[in-house]
Amino acid sequence: MATSTPSTGDNKRTMPATSNLRHSQSARPSSPHTPQQQPRSGNASFASSTSPGSSFRNEDDAIIFEIGTRWIRAGFEGNGSPACTVGFGPEEMRRVGDYRGWIQGASGVGPLPRPVNAEDWVRDYELWRHDLRDLDLGLVEDKIERALRETYNQHLLTDAGTSRLVLALPSLMPHPLLSSLLSALFSRWRFPSVTLLSSATMSATAAGLRSALVVDIGWAETTTTAIYEYREVTTKRSTRATKLLMQEMGRILTVLGSDKAPEEAVKDEISVGFTYCEEVTTRFAWCNPQVEAGGAVSGPDRTISIPSPNNPDKDFCDIPFAQLSEPVEKVMFAPGVTECEMDDEEKSIPVLVYNTLLTLPPDARGTCMSRIVFVGGGSRIPGLRQRILNEVSLLIDQHGWSPIRGKVLERQRERLERMKISSQTNEEAQPTNKSSAPSHDEGEKPDPSREEPEIDFVEQKLRRQNKDTSVLVQGVLREVESLGAWAGASLVTSLKIRGMVEIEREKFLQHGLAGATRESEPPVPDRRSGLRAGDRSSWTLAGWA
Amino acid sequence: MSRPFPYTYISCPCADTPVPDPARKRRSRGTPQKSPNPEQPNVDNEDKKPQEEENEDEEEEEQTFDPRSPRSNFSLYPPEQLLYCEDCHQIKCPRCITEEIVSWYCPNCLFETPSSMVRSDGNRCGRNCFNCPTCTAPLAVSTIENVTGNGSQQGPWVLSCGYCMWTTLDIGIKFDKPTNIRTQLQKMTDATATPSYDRSRQASRTFGDLKSPLSSYASIDEQSASREGSGEQSATNEDTIPTPDLGTDARFAALKSFYRTQISETSTSPGDPLGSDLGFSSPGALNRLMSLYASSSRLSGLYGGNKKQKSKPPVMREALTSSEGLRIAPDNGDADVIERLGSQECGWDGVASIEQRQDQSPDVRFADDLIPLPCLLRTKRAKRCKSCKHILVKPETKPQSTRFRIRLIALSYIPLPTLRPLALPSSSSMMSAPIPDLNSLPPLRPVHVLLTLKNHMFDPVRITLATPSVTPGRVASKVTVLSPQFDIGANSDVWDEALQNASAPVTGDPKLATLRGVPEAGKVWDKGRNWTTVVLEVVPGTLPGSEAEGGNEVTAKDGTLATQQDEDVLEIPVFVHMEWDAEAQLEQQNVGKASKPDDLVARELAYWMVLGVGRIQASL
Repeated sequence: MATSTPSTGDNKRTMPATSNLRHSQSARPSSPHTPQQQPRSGNASFASSTSPGSSFRNEDDAIIFEIGTRWIRAGFEGNGSPACTVGFGPEEMRRVGDYRGWIQGASGVGPLPRPVNAEDWVRDYELWRHDLRDLDLGLVEDKIERALRETYNQHLLTDAGTSRLVLALPSLMPHPLLSSLLSALFSRWRFPSVTLLSSATMSATAAGLRSALVVDIGWAETTTTAIYEYREVTTKRSTRATKLLMQEMGRILTVLGSDKAPEEAVKDEISVGFTYCEEVTTRFAWCNPQVEAGGAVSGPDRTISIPSPNNPDKDFCDIPFAQLSEPVEKVMFAPGVTECEMDDEEKSIPVLVYNTLLTLPPDARGTCMSRIVFVGGGSRIPGLRQRILNEVSLLIDQHGWSPIRGKVLERQRERLERMKISSQTNEEAQPTNKSSAPSHDEGEKPDPSREEPEIDFVEQKLRRQNKDTSVLVQGVLREVESLGAWAGASLVTSLKIRGMVEIEREKFLQHGLAGATRESEPPVPDRRSGLRAGDRSSWTLAGWA
Repeated sequence: MSRPFPYTYISCPCADTPVPDPARKRRSRGTPQKSPNPEQPNVDNEDKKPQEEENEDEEEEEQTFDPRSPRSNFSLYPPEQLLYCEDCHQIKCPRCITEEIVSWYCPNCLFETPSSMVRSDGNRCGRNCFNCPTCTAPLAVSTIENVTGNGSQQGPWVLSCGYCMWTTLDIGIKFDKPTNIRTQLQKMTDATATPSYDRSRQASRTFGDLKSPLSSYASIDEQSASREGSGEQSATNEDTIPTPDLGTDARFAALKSFYRTQISETSTSPGDPLGSDLGFSSPGALNRLMSLYASSSRLSGLYGGNKKQKSKPPVMREALTSSEGLRIAPDNGDADVIERLGSQECGWDGVASIEQRQDQSPDVRFADDLIPLPCLLRTKRAKRCKSCKHILVKPETKPQSTRFRIRLIALSYIPLPTLRPLALPSSSSMMSAPIPDLNSLPPLRPVHVLLTLKNHMFDPVRITLATPSVTPGRVASKVTVLSPQFDIGANSDVWDEALQNASAPVTGDPKLATLRGVPEAGKVWDKGRNWTTVVLEVVPGTLPGSEAEGGNEVTAKDGTLATQQDEDVLEIPVFVHMEWDAEAQLEQQNVGKASKPDDLVARELAYWMVLGVGRIQASL
């Protein structure tokens, strides 16, 4: 075999491309997987993409699901926005034939009969939570099954299970959850394969970026994921996210609705409907983009009228507009709480962003900090993104990029400076600095005119090699808007890029998640095999392992 | 629950066979399995708990079905919604069937959409059917003159909602023709989305539309050529150009064409001698989008080994201009949004609600941004058994027709359960006994309910009912089936009964049934041609926290005092086991040695049923 491979290589140089493609394709099943084989297996996939068979295959578009704690987004590959967004709530958990939601009005609008604990208040509206201790995985499977079935029947209007399924999932998923999700999908429908795509990377792709810092202000947690050249470099997370925001807003509205003084209602109990509170939050929660309170945005005396918490269907009540920004500030930025008092999992979001950038190597940091992408439900709150960026830039001004800080350090620095001042004379130090700096400037100023051809040469070469490096924005804080993880997954799938993690039905049903190879990087030929899924001997969970 | 009392639900047996997960076995062995209902951790009395734990290791069927468990909501169905597979001899619920779409149609105009058009129409009606973006009522096409009271049929046309009086004039849209509204609207919304960016929009449109690889080649070249010219200078002074506000779809198309161009450029690299002949959509080249690896250096080593190693293959770059889909957040941020939110004229109704936004473009925030959406199509679906692919339901294709070619509903095979309260004749007056009010059952006072099972099969059925003596959950009601084993007659000709009854005294009259006296244990209450009625004696339990509670230890726990929603509903799980001798099917007859035609096969079916009796009063 080894002797025959160079000869086909020679043929390739002389023969027209199409014929040797066919040749290599026919030769490939019998030949072993030697390293020389790799280019040819790539060729085989090239050929298959232009053959009529592949165009037939292209017709059944993959279906993309982005499954989050609160919502499922679903649609076809190549579309810019999902065909539908389906939520989870008590109405979705009712029995078939139980039409109470229609008879009495959906639950969660009116005030609750009695105050409930803030955690119980949100529990019914979540598909899952990452704390698996009190999570019934069977119930999660039931919910997913029903949600997907109804999505297919009502929105996608296509037969479930015939086409490929692509899931955009956060890259940190508890394995039991992932396992029940996949087994629910595979055992209920006949999906040939399920591809997993990391939602953070997809968000970066949907912003047109290769490297980014994706800040996902989600339901249960805010994650900041640094992505460098499409790879997740580091991830940090904080519990300051929409769930806390909703609970805080619920408390405010509870106080607003109750006649009691706020002091009496400080118990961690909420008595307003969840749907009502969510409506208020999505409509009117806002955040002052300036760090200082009382910025230029709106007068503090403005009031708006929102439906009354006690009787949302009929009455309205006035609330100061500024008060609607309080929960956002309190939850996301934790004003008045020093950083050392917060646990690792409840850092405020600017600190979270700053810390994530700090852990990156300087190159990656420079690239990522000018590509900050906000996704998730919380990023819709007006002003929040700007505020986060403002606070991050304040942090950078304050600390620079040094992780070392503290009172002792400052004292030490002061002492050193005092020593420096006392030992050295100011007259000596300053003139030398001043003289050296201008001399550099003067020395360089004539240079550009002289070195113009040289710079041009370098730039030309750079441009020939990789065109983008010369114009890369770097080192400044900048926000880039993304279309979201769903759109990214749709984009990537429609470009016929295969994900690293493609789980095939038979293999999963045999071994479950345990069948995945432990290597995070699968062997290269598997990924080059393109549309031919059959020759994958092993599969991996890559980032999900 | 929402159904008026009394009601019956049937649990599909598929809930008892959990999803086979190869990994689960190991997992559950490693960590102790959670109790299935976390909401009621202290359901059982102390002496029951060890037994419960033992049961957990055994088969799940051994456990009593708990209608209050959150999972049971997903397996309980009204009896009329269930199907029956004749091959598997099993009840089939929507979870254990597969569905195939027979036809697509618009629920508004009842026109069938051909399958080739469904996807291109975005699963929505391609005619003039639109839903109101604010209240979802169907919109009507009318002239502006009609709206103002003039009767002429000419002039600009608008879509107007008859329910909430919304018209497209509110968002400044008028139509020239009363037909083909959808294409007109599409043109207008696209134009508003891309006010100044016709060129890039045009280019992206062509990319999206072209399917053939050859034609997209040509346009790719054009695109890259034009980008070479315009891209660089626009890239350099990118900061000065205000980013045009591309709509979501336009941005997506721009990004897509950008990635396509990048992929084609990077795959036709000089280092890759074969790359120039190959399509940009080849997956091997596309892999480089996600990561770079050393394949091309290997290629050059193979094919140009003696030559000097070529430079690195061109790397895909990121999007740099807004025509490539990049969008930098504006400098002033959301200041104007906040300003508008806080302004007086916006108000609560000026902001779109979650429900209104759900189907709209994700950028929509204010009610003015909502555009009418065409009606979502609906489907007629054939249903097959998931395990044997036997077809269970096949509707007629025509949208107007409500007939079915095949429909195997479960009620033709399993007895229909109906429940009604029994008004016990008191000793004093024979006829006027008060029927207990099912919406407020007094606790600790026995109630008799009549459970009638009506057989629709042509074979007599033997039924065995089983029920836990105490209902699961915190509200422990005592239940006794007075005659758990009985027969139901075959669904024979109606005239048989009439003829029989002509001679025999009428037994099926419900009024006379009250004269029957007191219910006795082991005795069927009433029986007809194909139905049998038995009596259930129910003693409703007391609600936790009510004063009727006699020192139960549940109150001791703090927090459990509050009743969960619907905890006061008295639901009785009943296990139904039915046996009958069915006629053997044809193939079975042929397989067996030439047997008699009236060969009978014993069949059995077992399932859980939930009887909703009523709501228990909070206090005595």
